[in-house]
Amino acid sequence: MTDPADKTDWVDALLDDVGQAEVPDASGDLMARVLADAEAAMPAPGGAPARDGLLRQILAGLGGWPSVGGLVAATAVGFAVGLGALDATGLNALWLGDYATYYDDTLGFSVNGWDFEEG
Amino acid sequence: MPLPLVNGGGGTLARQKMTMPLDAQDTDGPEEAALLARYARGDAAAARALTTRLTPRAYGHAMRLLGDRAEAEDVAQEAMMRLWKIAPDWRTGEAKVTTWLYRVVANLCTDRLRRRPRGPVALDDVAEPLDPAPGAEDRLLAQARRDALARALASLPERQRLAVMLRHFEGATNPEIAERLDVSVEAVESLTARGKRALAAALKGQATALGYEG
Repeated sequence: MTDPADKTDWVDALLDDVGQAEVPDASGDLMARVLADAEAAMPAPGGAPARDGLLRQILAGLGGWPSVGGLVAATAVGFAVGLGALDATGLNALWLGDYATYYDDTLGFSVNGWDFEEG
Repeated sequence: MPLPLVNGGGGTLARQKMTMPLDAQDTDGPEEAALLARYARGDAAAARALTTRLTPRAYGHAMRLLGDRAEAEDVAQEAMMRLWKIAPDWRTGEAKVTTWLYRVVANLCTDRLRRRPRGPVALDDVAEPLDPAPGAEDRLLAQARRDALARALASLPERQRLAVMLRHFEGATNPEIAERLDVSVEAVESLTARGKRALAAALKGQATALGYEG
């Protein structure tokens, strides 16, 4: 049997059969979830849309607390590497286990080739 | 001023459904828009009213297209979430809330249908049900029809799809469709005619398998 594209009678019947089929009622769980979403997203009373505070907006922009923690860790590591990157002191010394070079004999502190005398 | 009830065309049949179509239960447009404006001002009662009014309609529409309860619930929840988010920016008078929601649900369903792995469904492709109880074959046929139609609808341009669905799923008359889509009645007639021809082309060869005389 053929159903040429220009014959749409059976398509009308199909549309009506599917469109008028009974569907079960929405569950109470769905209604509760939607209402919870509505309340969570609801603007503040008075018309001003609920907005997060400045800190929360900044945190959200950075990706939340986990991302901020990663940024802090990366910054600390970068700073430590920077301290000891150009000589055998600092972090390199810690990696090498050569603690003796961290403080020299004159109790000075060597950073990137600059010597600081205590006192 | 409230708009008249949408009760033309297949409205009588539509009212027999367990879940009413989007605009067949009560006044459309202004009342929902007013509730949405109240919601945007932080009115919890408006949130409850909109949830009660619109969620069953969104779910029913998604259920007819997807045929899967869990998926239909996800789509309804997502569509309603988009409504909550757009509420502060909603411009009353530019669009009807129910039509906007109808469009969002249809698009979400289309996205899901496109992600489904199966191709066009024919009865022979559907596994026999384990339950041989009376009615199982009818359910299988209904599922095949729904899947085939949903996939074909997904291939239509949005305005054609909406016009066809409003006509056959909501029982809306051409003037009502014209108002909701903000086009002329003549344009609606053209959209529905072209939409049905496109559907017939997309469903070509499946009439017999779906239980129709092509």
